[in-house]
Amino acid sequence: MNSDWYILRTRLGSWFSRLMAMTAKELIQFGRDTLLLFAIVYLFVFDTYMAGNITMQLNKAVVVVHDADHSAASRELIYRFRQPYFKLGGEVLDNHAGQRLLDQGRALVVLDIPPDFAHDIKKGTSVDVQVQVDASNAVLGFLASSYTAQIIGQYGFDQALTSLGIDERALENVPMVRNEYRVWYNPNQKDTWFMPISELLVVITIMGIMLPAAAAVREKERGTIEQLLVSPLTPIQILLSKVIAMTVVILLGTAMSLFFVLHGVFAVPMKGSLILFFAVTTIYSFTTAGLGLYIATLSRNLAQAALLAILVLMPMIFLSGAWTPPEAMPMGLRQAMYISPLFYFIEMGYAILLKGAGLDILWDSLLGLALLGGLIFGFGVWRFRRQFK
Amino acid sequence: MNSRRIFAVAYKEWREIVRDRLFLSLAFVVPVSLMLIFGYGINLDVEHIPFAVVDHDKSALSRDYLHRYIDSRYFAYQGDLASEREIGPLLADSRIRLAIIIPPRFEENLMAGRSVAIQTLIDGTFTFRTSSSKGYVIAINAAFNSELLGNYISQRLGIPLETAREMAQPVTAELRYMYNQEIKSVWSIATVLMMFVLMITPPFLTALGVVREKENGSIYNIYASTVTRGEFLIGKLAPYVGISILNILILWLMVARLFGAPFKGDPLFFFLASVIYVICTTGIGLLVSLLVRTQVAAMMMTVVVTVVPSVLYSGLLVPIASMDPAGQFEAHLFPAMYYTDIILGSFLKGVGMEQLWGKVLALLIYAIVLWTASFLMFHKRPKS
Repeated sequence: MNSDWYILRTRLGSWFSRLMAMTAKELIQFGRDTLLLFAIVYLFVFDTYMAGNITMQLNKAVVVVHDADHSAASRELIYRFRQPYFKLGGEVLDNHAGQRLLDQGRALVVLDIPPDFAHDIKKGTSVDVQVQVDASNAVLGFLASSYTAQIIGQYGFDQALTSLGIDERALENVPMVRNEYRVWYNPNQKDTWFMPISELLVVITIMGIMLPAAAAVREKERGTIEQLLVSPLTPIQILLSKVIAMTVVILLGTAMSLFFVLHGVFAVPMKGSLILFFAVTTIYSFTTAGLGLYIATLSRNLAQAALLAILVLMPMIFLSGAWTPPEAMPMGLRQAMYISPLFYFIEMGYAILLKGAGLDILWDSLLGLALLGGLIFGFGVWRFRRQFK
Repeated sequence: MNSRRIFAVAYKEWREIVRDRLFLSLAFVVPVSLMLIFGYGINLDVEHIPFAVVDHDKSALSRDYLHRYIDSRYFAYQGDLASEREIGPLLADSRIRLAIIIPPRFEENLMAGRSVAIQTLIDGTFTFRTSSSKGYVIAINAAFNSELLGNYISQRLGIPLETAREMAQPVTAELRYMYNQEIKSVWSIATVLMMFVLMITPPFLTALGVVREKENGSIYNIYASTVTRGEFLIGKLAPYVGISILNILILWLMVARLFGAPFKGDPLFFFLASVIYVICTTGIGLLVSLLVRTQVAAMMMTVVVTVVPSVLYSGLLVPIASMDPAGQFEAHLFPAMYYTDIILGSFLKGVGMEQLWGKVLALLIYAIVLWTASFLMFHKRPKS
């Protein structure tokens, strides 16, 4: 009994020590490639930093005006197009000139204020202000038209109140609904909080698929896999060591990015448990490693592996829910989002870091990721082992 | 330069590509599938925002107010909540992204001619979605207010409702969307995707193709041969440029036919500009391949210099005009942005050479710099 236990223990011990030796070999090999290291550090640190400087808000969009009225009223409207959203780009003499500025991309919005603008407002008849918006970029076009409509609507409302002789103090006694907004989790809607997190999660995904795939295909391409196969290592050890080594690299990179860039530079509030975040990242990293290993079994050289990785990566990134809300997706693609591991990772990443959510809220997403991860990783391992038979 | 030797190198590379069936098919499958997935998949229109309601008033007027959200296609009603306490967990779990709280005596106060404050809670995690939702809420609220004000004027001044409504809304905005009449994000995205796909695939093909020779050692055949470095680079890359030119035509056809984006510009101009762009992106791959020794490093470096900037700095998702100066400066460093302008100009705006020559020139300079740098960095007698 006792000796059985002893044998088992030594076997397990040597199994683990072999696994660790292989993992160490992977890490050493990785560390010797200076440019590869540079690329990894760049992606985790500088890239997330650069992403933080990008904003999706309307920022000083150029508005040009064709003012046919030149009255105090028209000027008041024009001056409401202010920074940060808008910037006045001057006046044009006719609509044609405005059109040309739009064509050249030098203006985003052209306002056309009709003659008799002030006169008609005073009389109480409705005036139309023509607005042309460059919508070739859907995001900008949408924001610009939305803000323009708000500004003009508010202006009209104020004019109506003035002509009725209601001033601001009497506003309490006008029946109207004042909508008070509160934006949660990111009160000032800082893109410096949104963008770096999304970028970090995407970088983790890119690494998580490409590094294990490359580590596995490289041995095949160079022929060193034959050496490993005649060694006392089992296929599982060969494969696990690669996955573990790459996961270590990813976790280190994540920690650097999280502490130096997200927390250090952008002061992203780390509301939730960091242990939970790293645990989720580890599970996710194993999931993507499964995908990477599967890619490795399909390809004979790295060029093939890289193209296959892109084919898997890009849909994952765009179906992740960071850019495109799942609610607005057409049927079919929406279902496809639920089988993308990045969807769960994004959901949980933001929830932990910004919302401070814990396991009590995230258990279902975590379960989804774990199930999906187990399935994908198992499949990758099965395929990888099969090619040695 | 000896054209026979260039041809020989190109032919050797071509045979190698053709024999690697998986690689050859991926060289065409990847661009097409990226186009398909994104063209149908990216929908930046913010719609069906899930929201919940806490209605403390439960009056006819509060229902009327809330129904303006419930019936809108921008919002998806998820039900009534009994109290504010239930909102927190739902928002944290992303089951709802917005909640509206109507205070008690909402109807009573409005009927008595007093203003009422309601509360809207918005999930601020995804910032673009937040500002869109806020825009919709403000618009719906403003429409409701101007109706209320119209009724109020009509009662106070004793004038017909029609006139009163007009007085309540003396200025209206008539919005016209240029270039993309229905703000279809599919148009603006499918066109820009051409830039994206042609930015990513050529460098990968090139970088890995060249580094493979370095890593396998087969490059020593070249070092030992009579082929000069210029001949080698041109011959080696010609097949990849050829594949990418074929991809230009395929993608162009997809954008125009499949996604129905109108092509208003000059086809010849657009084709030539695209070829210059492809030569440029191939050059990026070439430069990467000369910097690194291993294919893994080539792969990651290509990600660094192509995938990331073309997502962030090309105007695909984030408009460049709205970046801060640092971001705009970085955007100008990548060729993607110039080509994006050429695509949008040619497809949606119908402007040609006279407006876009500057961008083409920028691409050309970019291509020349990349190829010259690669030429200077490539040696037939490597140091180590």
